[in-house]
Amino acid sequence: MFENIYTAFGNVFTLYTLMLMAIGVLCGLVAGSIPGFTITMAVVLTLPFTFGMSPIEGLSTMLGVYVGGLTGGMFSSAIIGIPGTPSAISTTFDSFPMARKGRPGLALGLGLWASFIGGILSAIVLVFLAPTLAKIGLEFGPWDYFMLVCFALTIAASLSEGDLIKGLISGVFGLVIAAVGEDAINGAERLTFGIENLGSGFDFLPVLIGLFAFSQLLTDMSDSEAAKKPMTSKAQKVIRMEHIESIRLCFKHWGTMIRSSSIGLFIGLLPAAGSSISNILAYDQEKKASKHPEKFGTGVPEGIIASEASNNATAGGALITMMALGIPGDAVTAVMLGALTIHNIAPSPTFISTQPTLAYAIMIAYFLANFMTLFFTSASLRLFLLVTRIPLYILGVVILLYCAIGVFTLNNSTSDIWTLLIFGVLGFIMVRNGFPLTPMVLGVVLGPLAEINLSRAIATSDDLTLFFTRPWALFFFVMAVFSVFFPVYQAARNAQKRWATYYAAAFIACLAVPIILMGGWFRTGLGIAFLVMAVLMFVKRSRAPITTA
Amino acid sequence: MKRLNRDTVTAVLLLLFCGLLFQQTFFVRKVPFSIMGSEVWPRVVLSALFILLLIYLFKSLITPPKDIIEKRPLKVWLDMYRNPLLCFGMFFLFLISLPYFGMLISGILFVFITQTLIGSRDKRSLILHAIVSVGAVGGMWAIFRFGLGVVMPAGSLF
Repeated sequence: MFENIYTAFGNVFTLYTLMLMAIGVLCGLVAGSIPGFTITMAVVLTLPFTFGMSPIEGLSTMLGVYVGGLTGGMFSSAIIGIPGTPSAISTTFDSFPMARKGRPGLALGLGLWASFIGGILSAIVLVFLAPTLAKIGLEFGPWDYFMLVCFALTIAASLSEGDLIKGLISGVFGLVIAAVGEDAINGAERLTFGIENLGSGFDFLPVLIGLFAFSQLLTDMSDSEAAKKPMTSKAQKVIRMEHIESIRLCFKHWGTMIRSSSIGLFIGLLPAAGSSISNILAYDQEKKASKHPEKFGTGVPEGIIASEASNNATAGGALITMMALGIPGDAVTAVMLGALTIHNIAPSPTFISTQPTLAYAIMIAYFLANFMTLFFTSASLRLFLLVTRIPLYILGVVILLYCAIGVFTLNNSTSDIWTLLIFGVLGFIMVRNGFPLTPMVLGVVLGPLAEINLSRAIATSDDLTLFFTRPWALFFFVMAVFSVFFPVYQAARNAQKRWATYYAAAFIACLAVPIILMGGWFRTGLGIAFLVMAVLMFVKRSRAPITTA
Repeated sequence: MKRLNRDTVTAVLLLLFCGLLFQQTFFVRKVPFSIMGSEVWPRVVLSALFILLLIYLFKSLITPPKDIIEKRPLKVWLDMYRNPLLCFGMFFLFLISLPYFGMLISGILFVFITQTLIGSRDKRSLILHAIVSVGAVGGMWAIFRFGLGVVMPAGSLF
């Protein structure tokens, strides 16, 4: 183990990799700070540059962009009151009022240090939890893996904005897209309509860039007047960050830091649930737990700390799921999975044991990216102020062409640029009609995995009940069912329906069954504890009057 | 029916597309001795999609529509989607011109013309668009061509 860590250190701490990471962090900080340019878009656009690199160099660069982007989102939140990325939405609630009160340096400093501490806390958990989770993952058979993919799709659909049914359609449509072309098992062409270029199916990268970057850019540029104007109309004064005061406040509100980082980490662990959810959830929880909730939204430090600590901690959780189970924890790790596949590395529960150097290098690079972000933030703040003087349409059109160049480099084929255009149009239409894109991308990524595992399961046994009777398969089935009904539960809870008060108890009780079935003293004990907890919750809720959340 | 629910129209169109895809699964080559035929997985996911689309259609019919597709003059519609349509159109033309002009020239033309169509057209803006298109596209082209050794598409005319 120590030999692998030592080798990973050696690979990450080369001048070339460090330089790539530094560029990645800087690009991430600037890209994250521009409203409309998401972190996923930045990481997707980095991907073509990594083709010629080793997996460690490529992933380190992407991690730099990822972590930098998560922190960069706060710049525009604090300075111009528009979140740079969806992961910084709730940062705006308190950082902008604080900046308007004359403390922009404190708002930015708090965001920076909360991001750093949240990121480091999640990195520590990543180091310890990923190998443990990977060991659990080794217990999975094809039935369990298939149900895990189903759960990933349902949770992505239910946590996406908008209608659940549209999210599910989007996810299943992603599976259909992944099924186009030759199948991995028999090599027969499918759903090609006789078009020769479709024989090899759709490459993941053009689909991803088309859906996430191309369509997003066009959505942002839809407003003709807004696209022509720079984000800031006048030159901003140079802002000095109040580091000492920010560190003091971060330690003063350590409870907020721990709570928000834990929420971020947990959301990151859920397949496909990313920082756009965690920051809002952490802010909401912090407000509920606060002694002065009425002050939230006026520029309180806890609001900024909660949002920024949680969104950076999400990255660690997402990396755990990716490395331990081979399932993307969020859209960015879906891109990283694609990058690994390009290098012929398929993440799975055996990833950490078969690719230990790469796995430890990812962990080290994640730690390092957090330190680099801390170091480069002041410099990139000046860059951000310059970039905000450029009208959106100038940047947008140039990036559209970069998408084309990047996609071409994948196979040196112009047909990939056509794919980019087609999926760009499709993504734009889908967003306009309220269909979320994340479940679709997840469907494209996980489609082949689901098919192979279904095939393996059928080849191993004719008994289809194994999909529901094996403990882990049942566990994921329960999770999938409850995640599908989660939006229904939320609506019922807001409407004060009686049954909604028992939803959590029912979920825990149902989850206890597969855990008990897994056997072993720990899991059986845990399952029984879950059952007892469910009964107690049921009794408590049946006595309590209904209250709105 | 004077007013159409947008979701209903989308659901019907998607159901038709789903049916078309399902029909395609009957043309998948049979592979001897395979345990799970190549057509099984597409059929499984298309069946799931079909059920979801039926629910979507049913929901769109029973719930009062939030947005109605009303007859809008073409000009209003074009104004609403002017920039995306321009970008899609220009990107399409860029792809068509790629075999003739190559990535560098087509790229510069695409960026310059699209920026000019979307943005301002005064003398200062035109100079800015020209500088940005040559600098940004030329720079990126050079990085990939000479830095990363990628052979970019060359044009038959230039």
